[in-house]
Amino acid sequence: MTETETRLREFESDLVVESYEVVAEDVVAVTLVHPQGEALPAWTPGAHIDLILTPEITRQYSLCGSPADAHRFTVGILNAPNSRGGSRHVHEAVSTGSVIRIRGPRNHFPLVASPRYVFIAGGIGVTPMLPMIAEAEAARAEWTLLYGGRSEASMAFIDQLRAYGDRVTLLPGNDVALMSAALDDRIGTPRPDTLVYTCGPEGLLGAVEARCASWPTGSLHLERFAAKATEGAVDTEFEVELARTGITITVPADRSIFDAVQDHGISVLGSCHEGVCGTCETVILGVDGEVDHRDSVLNDEEKASNESMMICVSRCRSGRLTLDL
Amino acid sequence: MSAAIPVPRDCWYAPAASSEVGRELVPVRAAGLPVVLYRTESGAVVALEDRCAHRAYPLSAGELIGDTVRCGLCGFVYGPDGQCISVPTQPHVPYGARVASYPVQEADGLVWVWLGEPGRAGLHRIPDLPWLDDDGWSTVSGEEDVLASFLLLHENFADVTQVPFVAPDIAPSVLGSTPPPLEVVVSETSVSLHRDFPPAPLPEWQAEIVGCPPDAPYRTEQSGFFPSPAVWVDHWDAQAADGTWIRLRFTHLVTPIDESSSRLLWAVSRDFALGNRAVDQYLGGIFTDYYERVIDAMEIAQEVLEIDGPGPEVNVNADAVGLKVREIVDALLTAEGA
Ligand code: FES
Repeated sequence: MTETETRLREFESDLVVESYEVVAEDVVAVTLVHPQGEALPAWTPGAHIDLILTPEITRQYSLCGSPADAHRFTVGILNAPNSRGGSRHVHEAVSTGSVIRIRGPRNHFPLVASPRYVFIAGGIGVTPMLPMIAEAEAARAEWTLLYGGRSEASMAFIDQLRAYGDRVTLLPGNDVALMSAALDDRIGTPRPDTLVYTCGPEGLLGAVEARCASWPTGSLHLERFAAKATEGAVDTEFEVELARTGITITVPADRSIFDAVQDHGISVLGSCHEGVCGTCETVILGVDGEVDHRDSVLNDEEKASNESMMICVSRCRSGRLTLDL
Repeated sequence: MSAAIPVPRDCWYAPAASSEVGRELVPVRAAGLPVVLYRTESGAVVALEDRCAHRAYPLSAGELIGDTVRCGLCGFVYGPDGQCISVPTQPHVPYGARVASYPVQEADGLVWVWLGEPGRAGLHRIPDLPWLDDDGWSTVSGEEDVLASFLLLHENFADVTQVPFVAPDIAPSVLGSTPPPLEVVVSETSVSLHRDFPPAPLPEWQAEIVGCPPDAPYRTEQSGFFPSPAVWVDHWDAQAADGTWIRLRFTHLVTPIDESSSRLLWAVSRDFALGNRAVDQYLGGIFTDYYERVIDAMEIAQEVLEIDGPGPEVNVNADAVGLKVREIVDALLTAEGA
């Protein structure tokens, strides 16, 4: 029998903007539906989709509606002052009835079952927390949300969150000292029965990470919006053995593994190409040398385990890798 | 992978057809749990833990009285919500005397049961299988307990290249020749595959039923879907030269009984030769035989895994679908904290 060519891709579809609602200063909630009313792929809290805004601009947004709604994807979008064009494009060009191409959903921030959760959100980082909170409620888990932002007017979804009463603490005013005290109070002492979920700007994530360093492994779940800076990384050439395909390729210093694999006609999934979205995650079968993890998806433990890597940015410091491709 | 992969519980499973559940107690096992199914007098399906809270005894061996179940050993009586409402030896019901009552839904002629965290039932969807309960389709079906894990079954359904080996006589002739490219589409919780085959004669059995010349060319579109660990669906849609379509749906309802055995409810639906009893019988025979062969192969594979452990399996690129299925199941288990 001759070879079966396998083409792998993520679910992709043109969706129509059903509603476009300003939910805070500079934040809109955009709800998307299939033009023929077809059901959309199922997802779980923490999932995100790509909005393919122009051929050049693709951005990731957390889903913030209900996973039980088979027909709608809702995302919250911030018109960031230093936006690279994605959010601004949405704010300026998208309105009810316009068509947006989406890809996904995928999830690198899944909610793991636990009797107790601490949710910590900064600004627009609150979006993935909404379905997480709904699920924690449904499962009768104990939870609290600490939600910081510039000002109350800038903080999206606070009316719906206020309905949860004193489990939700709002910290407007970008007050670092207040936030720091609140973090000490919430996560200053490790608790083995608690999982911590956080999403927001880098400063907040760093503060949470630092406090969770002494927590049991696997307690902290964190999602970054943007690529973590990689300092002084040097790109060198190395070899990659593609176990399933049965060939070995050379990755030149100026190409990513992702590109090099595609150059050989092998179908791999990718979206952001900057180590943020997790789409290109690939299982590592063997390492001869040292993996240079440069992504913002895996946490330190996951990186150290060398079980998988994001092949769009991560490399190998000399030597050779064997990948499940 | 270990031979004993844990079973996801946060999933709607269909362990029985609606027609199998009536005013009698029906025992099933799903996700490692004993469950008894029955209908109340008003026709609603109830799913209770099939074990009396008093002694180790299945409620299904007791009696259905009105909307309640009485234990055949000790006489404890339970309502449809699982609460014990009377005990024979004293006027008051002891505290804590209750059995679990599981969320149930009926859809597309199937009884779907949720054995996970009850609060999360509403956040998960039941896949749409409209052809199973629609006048535009005729269905033959069968069910079997299989001594193989639910994952082995799914990996088998995901492997489109296996059919010509397991069942060369019923496989569409298109499967044996140069295969067209395999399109695989993934999302967080589902995976599907798609292939378009160039025009070729139908398999003999199908040409016979359709009543077309044995060499009449049909172009075929094949799709496979994994919407959840409870279901694998295959679509085989063939189009004649004159543009008319004949469609087949193969539905596989997989309910893990425990880590190494499963209940398989299979159904073959067609949108041609509707309501034809002779065709039903003919197809029923062919596919009972086919699924027996599939089941034999899966049981042998499970045995190898149990005796020799999960050796290093070599994967090929066409295994992308099965690998994604495993990934989705792993993610489900992680989220459950399993
Ligand atoms: S493509 Fe987004 S992490 Fe690699």
